[in-house]
Amino acid sequence: MKLLSVEGLSVRAGELELVREVSFAIAPGERVGLIGESGSGKSLTALSLMGLLPEGVSASGTAVLGGHRLLGVPEKRLKGLRGRTVSMVFQEPMTALNPLMRVGAQVSEVMTLHGRDRAAARARTLDLLDRVRLPHPAQIARAYPHQLSGGQRQRVMLAIALANEPDLLICDEPTTALDVTVQKQMLELIAEVAPALLFITHDLAVVASMCERVLVMYGGRVVESGPMREVFTRPRHRYTEGLLDASRLTPRGTRLPTIKGSVPSAGAFPEGCVFRNRCPHAGPRCETEPALTGEAHGYACWHPGD
Amino acid sequence: MAMPAGTPVIEARDLTRVYRRPRTSLTRPGEAVHALKGVSLSVARGERYGIVGESGSGKSTLLRLLCGLDRPTSGSIRFAGQEIVGRRDLRFLRNDLQIVFQDPMSSLDPRMRVRDIVAEPLVAQRLPVGTRVAELLDEVGLPAAAAERYPHQFSGGQRQRIAIARALAPAPKVLVADEAVSALDVSVRGQILNLLADLIDAHGLTLVFVSHDLSVVRHVCESVAVMSEGEIVESGAVDEVWAEPKHPYTRTLLRAVPTLEGLL
Amino acid sequence: MRGRMNAGLIVGGTLVALVVIAALVSFVWTPHDPTLVDAARKLREPGGGYLLGADKFGRDTFSQLMVGARTTLYVGIVAVGIAALIGAPLGMIAGMTPHGWLSELVMRVNDLVFAFPALLLAVMLGAVYGAGTLTAMIAIGVATVPAFARVARAATMQVMVTDYILAARAAGRGRMAIAGRHVLPNIASMLIVQASVSFAIAILAEAALSFLGFGTRPPTPSWGRMLQESQELLFSTPRLALWPGLAIALAVLGFNLLGDGLRDYLDPKLRRIRERTRRSERSGGPTKEGLRGVSEER
Repeated sequence: MKLLSVEGLSVRAGELELVREVSFAIAPGERVGLIGESGSGKSLTALSLMGLLPEGVSASGTAVLGGHRLLGVPEKRLKGLRGRTVSMVFQEPMTALNPLMRVGAQVSEVMTLHGRDRAAARARTLDLLDRVRLPHPAQIARAYPHQLSGGQRQRVMLAIALANEPDLLICDEPTTALDVTVQKQMLELIAEVAPALLFITHDLAVVASMCERVLVMYGGRVVESGPMREVFTRPRHRYTEGLLDASRLTPRGTRLPTIKGSVPSAGAFPEGCVFRNRCPHAGPRCETEPALTGEAHGYACWHPGD
Repeated sequence: MAMPAGTPVIEARDLTRVYRRPRTSLTRPGEAVHALKGVSLSVARGERYGIVGESGSGKSTLLRLLCGLDRPTSGSIRFAGQEIVGRRDLRFLRNDLQIVFQDPMSSLDPRMRVRDIVAEPLVAQRLPVGTRVAELLDEVGLPAAAAERYPHQFSGGQRQRIAIARALAPAPKVLVADEAVSALDVSVRGQILNLLADLIDAHGLTLVFVSHDLSVVRHVCESVAVMSEGEIVESGAVDEVWAEPKHPYTRTLLRAVPTLEGLL
Repeated sequence: MRGRMNAGLIVGGTLVALVVIAALVSFVWTPHDPTLVDAARKLREPGGGYLLGADKFGRDTFSQLMVGARTTLYVGIVAVGIAALIGAPLGMIAGMTPHGWLSELVMRVNDLVFAFPALLLAVMLGAVYGAGTLTAMIAIGVATVPAFARVARAATMQVMVTDYILAARAAGRGRMAIAGRHVLPNIASMLIVQASVSFAIAILAEAALSFLGFGTRPPTPSWGRMLQESQELLFSTPRLALWPGLAIALAVLGFNLLGDGLRDYLDPKLRRIRERTRRSERSGGPTKEGLRGVSEER
């Protein structure tokens, strides 16, 4: 039984394919990590599930969440789902809250929007703020966003995301802007309260601490997917391998392993295997696109590591 | 300028810096913020010195003071034996100390060509530019043709290389890196750290490396100072601090950083 | 470094270009002498070499409009020039030393001038030094200084907090070099936008002053005075008010549209996003990835 299943999701802006044929599924209660560097298409993947793609960018394929289709349905239907069945926490806690509205009002607003009456929403707001471990919920509810720290604001965002008991929580780099000590508490909190989680980040260590399964994206494609422990200890795709090597900081005085070159801009990725212009193992065969093969642990590489 | 071996390049004594918030009342002055509460440190010649702290720890304030970009409320800073606090002519400091900033997007003037950006410290000090720009670009691994282009035409990692080339232009003795790799993709971070290590070795530079990430500091530096709430709470050899943190804050910080090794 | 053309830029640019062309052509050619009084042509209907007819003194309306465009641009250029040359440096000084006494002084004087109606200032100057185009231009210019100073100050403060200013200071650049090499190029686009909008205001102010008799002296044609002279014939010969009124309205609209268009075209933030977007996709609309790019690297 799958909660979310995505089949052949592609995102394009005009001629350009920014995300290509992405397929994955999330079971109820499962925590899945979506890993990628800037320009990998990870954020676009999440935004297309929320129906929040910017003007001029469109998604195709199918995505079904708990019986509701998410792609190719009118905005009106999506509006009913967003914030209720699926909700999202963004990276920047500074700009995600309305600076002129009290925090409590912003939390209860999402509930009244989805049909709860005011009094009930207000009462539940305090419960929610308590649940995201904000001290003195009543005081926090009366505060304005600028009176809170970055970590507190991100907790408020989480409370808003959880307000209508969604089936799936999507987090896009929720702790990147936070200090490490605050990040740790925030991650623990997300892990505890998320019903099912799609966690987007560039930080492999964060994913390792959060997720049971991971998807690695590069150049708009999923290049590897599987159980976290297996992918991280026995990566098959050369990009995953390089990324893991680059994440490990070797002792002082030694050279860090690197991936040569830099991530191309969208549209400048090579044909065939998207990683082949940076891959030390690339050969003529890589000019044709490898499919994502393998059952539980899939990878799209002609020269997989062992 | 020549100095005896063993003399600290940077020596700071009891630095304090108090900011005053803008006043909100006519009768009372604005609230005072103690960004630094008596910080002392000493960086030896050729040393790689890390400063670790979270936002609000005072590390950015300290860095600005050390670079002569701001004045302490009290305390003294000696650079190569010369006091810089209260001194007007800081030309020797501008030559011998250069900075690489965190965000290469905002540290490069978007309206200037790379050539002018890299040559700026030379032009500012009225030093000859000549073929220096091409040499510097080559040294940081960029083609000479990059000189004619604008910053936005480069990727994040390449922009940081430009910033490093600019920092090296006046042949400084001390390089200060302020979160220089924090904004970069993981696959690029290693390249920049390797490049920094090469350049430090090649030019015999002293490095002050400011970061929020103790594990990066451990890879780069020999010594570290851990800052919290305007004070250095712990300092010493990185490996010792890493293995046996003494201050509770350092312990919290170390526990909070997720590492792959620890999790797999 | 170029943004995308937009409708405001094209329409505004076209209107402004029409005014400029009319003014330039009027130096070498007008259908008739715009100042020639001829009782025989008094209130002549349009047609037969008199495209828009003639006024109560028999002067050709079309020729007057052409030369009036000259007056309009002349006033605009000098007034905006005065405002920019005084306001922009003051604003930059204030923006570069936001907590200094000089900055405080500049901004308070600014507020004072801002609170003073431009037309009243012009009428006063006119009363003291005699009404005329030059007095009007100076008055309008002085009254527009605060607008420039504010824009320059706000833009400068934004630039001053960037790391490239810190980098320039660390490189040993002095204040003047930072102002000239970093601040000015980065705030220029906003000043250009402000100039365009101020130009529209100056045109309106000159028209109003001429209408009141404090602007351009006769016989030099001016759109504002044409309006005033047509006042008594408003119901019998409305076309005499229609044409200069239309000219003023379109010129003001043109400069305002141009200002808005330039804002979108030159805005460094918008442009940076566009550059990224274009780099990252080369065609089609902006992508979220492109839009977020700047923050995503943090």
